[in-house]
Amino acid sequence: MRRLLLPVLASASLLAGLAGAPAWAADAPPGASSCTGCHAIRQVADSVIPQITGRTAADIANTMRQYRSGAWPSSVMGRIAKGFDESQIDAIATWFAAQKE
Amino acid sequence: MTTRRRFLKLTAAASLAPAVASAQGTGQGTGQGAGRVVVVGGGFAGATAARTLRALEPKLTVTLVEPNRIFTACPFSNGVLAALREIGQQQFGYDGVARAGVTLAQTSATAVDAAAKSVTLADGNKLSYDRLVLAPGIDIRWDALPGYDEAAAEKMPHAWKAGAQTVLLRQQLQAMEDGGLVVMSAPANPFRCPPGPYERASLIAYWLKIWKPKSKLLILDAKDAFSKQRLFQNAWAQLYPGIIEWVSLSQGGKVTSVDPSTLTLVTDFARHKAAVANVIPPQKAGAIAQQAGIADRTGWCPVEPVAFESTLQPGIHVLGDAAIMGGMPKSAFAANAQAKVCAAAIVELLAGRKPVDPLLINTCYSLVAPDYGISIAGVYRPDKGVLADVPGAGGISPLEVVGGFRAQEALFADSWFKTITAETFG
Repeated sequence: MRRLLLPVLASASLLAGLAGAPAWAADAPPGASSCTGCHAIRQVADSVIPQITGRTAADIANTMRQYRSGAWPSSVMGRIAKGFDESQIDAIATWFAAQKE
Repeated sequence: MTTRRRFLKLTAAASLAPAVASAQGTGQGTGQGAGRVVVVGGGFAGATAARTLRALEPKLTVTLVEPNRIFTACPFSNGVLAALREIGQQQFGYDGVARAGVTLAQTSATAVDAAAKSVTLADGNKLSYDRLVLAPGIDIRWDALPGYDEAAAEKMPHAWKAGAQTVLLRQQLQAMEDGGLVVMSAPANPFRCPPGPYERASLIAYWLKIWKPKSKLLILDAKDAFSKQRLFQNAWAQLYPGIIEWVSLSQGGKVTSVDPSTLTLVTDFARHKAAVANVIPPQKAGAIAQQAGIADRTGWCPVEPVAFESTLQPGIHVLGDAAIMGGMPKSAFAANAQAKVCAAAIVELLAGRKPVDPLLINTCYSLVAPDYGISIAGVYRPDKGVLADVPGAGGISPLEVVGGFRAQEALFADSWFKTITAETFG
């Protein structure tokens, strides 16, 4: 259980507050807006699901690829990442990384 | 910010109605990106669509038509039945939506004139729109199950719209004598929340095992298969042996009529007298969908897969449970995801641009016990005119797991509920 959470929780806990971040933006690439149904754009108290915002594009893209290949164990993320191709992963990673306060 | 919060209420004098309609019609500039969008229905789809439209394009005039001041969420409401939660934890107001710059019209939509692009409200006002979003959720088909009318639902609650019905069913369970038989009926597809009846059966069984250990639960089903079936059935065998019995369609599970005076559910083969009866009846898109001419013969609303515009009436977008969304199930996650995609598409359409093909995710958790969660996920994109599953993606939780996997999915379920309700209503 800890293994599943560790890689993402470590960075999530370092996040600065993102209360001012735009919830959605017109330039969001396909697929990005669905992510925030689980991954809060603002800090939600007591959520064990890590935030995506506040991380580098390389980190987000790598996480998606590790889940997609099954190299990292996951619950739903492996199943979801398999629906994204290389360019879609890169586009989402770049976009979320650019969402700052 | 509170100045943006305008309730168009019943109290408006009749003589003011034309002025309000006129303000809606011409009050905003006609520059690029401006426009008027009316959203009907303040659930996960409608509330998300309204505030996302404003977030994407602050020049838009967005009015959310919703008669209730408080929304009661269906996801997690099965936990209320099992006394794991209170109904208040399911309830959310619209202050956050108003703060996002959405005008709240606290009334019902009674008619849509697609040709004139206007919506008539129960308070007599008319709202003109450039684009209309209908997210009315479900209505019960009171004509579909003989004996099951609105009076019967007070004896045999459906609890498929969370709120008073949920509380009623919980009270009935708590008042039941130990040893009493709980009978549920589940409808044929499609219906709101495909795994919902089975999560409900699980959590009621969890509660029965503790508080009414001599009681049993019978599910009479109009289907031969259901969502996350093997996960549920494996968990029932492990956690609730001898408590839950599922009768499939081919085993004679389809309920053909009910008798509320004796709490009896009738199939072609038997009559089942219940101590507590939970009838989950056949459903259709909310009433305004029929009136607006966007529902087809199935009772649901066909849409194209990019902006979710009705294929029956131009200029009207349909979201959430009311719509036929191809492979996407009728879930709160799906409704919220569709709403964000639709809002972005409407902004593009109003600016004279063509929306790009979207990619959508659905994730749906069910609790089999408070610390035992299971999930289904999918990824969807437009393909040949419908929203189709992306091949190779999605699926259910593994049937065999080690360690705390189920407990972790239960934690994820709880976090998901907090996040999606914060995004929609917070």
